[in-house]
Amino acid sequence: MLLLEFRNFLLAGFANTLLLALVLTAGATLCAVMFAAALSTRSRVVTGCVYSLIECLRDIPLMVTVLLAYFVLPKAGISLNPFWSSALSISLWGGANGAHIIRAGLASVPKGQHEAADAFGLRGWRKLMLVILPQAMPVIIPPYVSLVTSLVQASSLGAVVGVEEVFRAGQVIIEQTTLTRGGSPAYLVYGFLLVIYFVLCWLISLVGRRCEQHFTRHLTRTDAASPVPRGMTQVVPA
Amino acid sequence: MDLDYILGALPDLMKGLKMTLMVSALAISLSLVLGALGAALRTSGHALPRRLVIGYVEFIRGTPLLVQIFFIFFGLPSLGIRFSVFWSGVIALTVWATAFQIENVRAGLASVAPGIRDASVALGLKRWQHAILVVLPIAARAALPPAMNTVVSTFKNSAYLQTIGLVELTFVAVDRIAYDFRAVEMFATICVIYLFCVFVLAGLAKLVEHRLNRPFAER
Repeated sequence: MLLLEFRNFLLAGFANTLLLALVLTAGATLCAVMFAAALSTRSRVVTGCVYSLIECLRDIPLMVTVLLAYFVLPKAGISLNPFWSSALSISLWGGANGAHIIRAGLASVPKGQHEAADAFGLRGWRKLMLVILPQAMPVIIPPYVSLVTSLVQASSLGAVVGVEEVFRAGQVIIEQTTLTRGGSPAYLVYGFLLVIYFVLCWLISLVGRRCEQHFTRHLTRTDAASPVPRGMTQVVPA
Repeated sequence: MDLDYILGALPDLMKGLKMTLMVSALAISLSLVLGALGAALRTSGHALPRRLVIGYVEFIRGTPLLVQIFFIFFGLPSLGIRFSVFWSGVIALTVWATAFQIENVRAGLASVAPGIRDASVALGLKRWQHAILVVLPIAARAALPPAMNTVVSTFKNSAYLQTIGLVELTFVAVDRIAYDFRAVEMFATICVIYLFCVFVLAGLAKLVEHRLNRPFAER
């Protein structure tokens, strides 16, 4: 069995894919938060610039962005290896998409909640973290999870510029076995890779659903024994 | 930036753009038709076709387009199914886009309130009349924005096809960079071309949307 024969090679590639996917998720989240923060500043110039940058990142094909980072950055004196160059370009792309998700989530929180937080004397970070964000999360998480699966899928683009991740490993196996043994095992290897990516994305969406449940648990209380929300029982005397 | 160099490269790039547009146009129209068919199967009462369509959509959306392209171009020939680069590209892009269009059309169909069926029955409309005259106009309005998003994505993702050697816009640019090392000029040019095309497509989408919503616009 060809896949078993090269299992160490494939596993090394898969480890790299996971690493790249983790870097991409972290990088995209960082970029998304920075973009979203920049968009919410009062300065017209800053929001204008960031908005155009986001639109460009979203409208230019990701394939072109990845190649651009790989070919053009060295000309500007920034030499990155394939891993970090694709990590940078795909993170920026993910950040541009993530910024829209975060903004839509924050905008979904009713204005009254902002006023209530102000009335409680909560300002800035505390208002955002304690009042606004927990309510924005149910809106943010579903598209964010699908963004993360897109990032996992986009990590395969690294293979085009030479990152040694699982898709590249598959290509190398096919090249070697076609040369040495005759007959291409491409359908087997690529079919296997499709299944691997599918399972990975499926697992991520499962985790995402769990996260979503965590933030909407107050809406789906099934505990019939306590019809009064927790906390209320202490306020209302028996 | 060397403007003369860009001008000299433009004829080649335009040939590439022509190929990009041709592949995308084919994939976009095929995926819209197949997406509507798939969504019809998906919402039909029969369990088997419904499950098959759900499985197809989930699988395609859960796997990278790049690997799908390689499976179709390099994998299928080892099973005895052989397509040219062009048709492999069209098929791969169509297979990918159809999965998304099925979801878009399905969501559009889901936006048709159940009471409308009763209204059609009350008016004595036949099943096909109900489908064409009542459901279609309502569903189309709801499905249009996400469907146009997918159309734009299909166009952008045609750039993936440079990896299998389809001579489209990105391929031409990368090919020239390999000879002339004018990376900045080439990437600036194709970025502008892609941005222009995406703006035109998005503008068209807005136009169609506006036109469809005209009966409901406030006067």
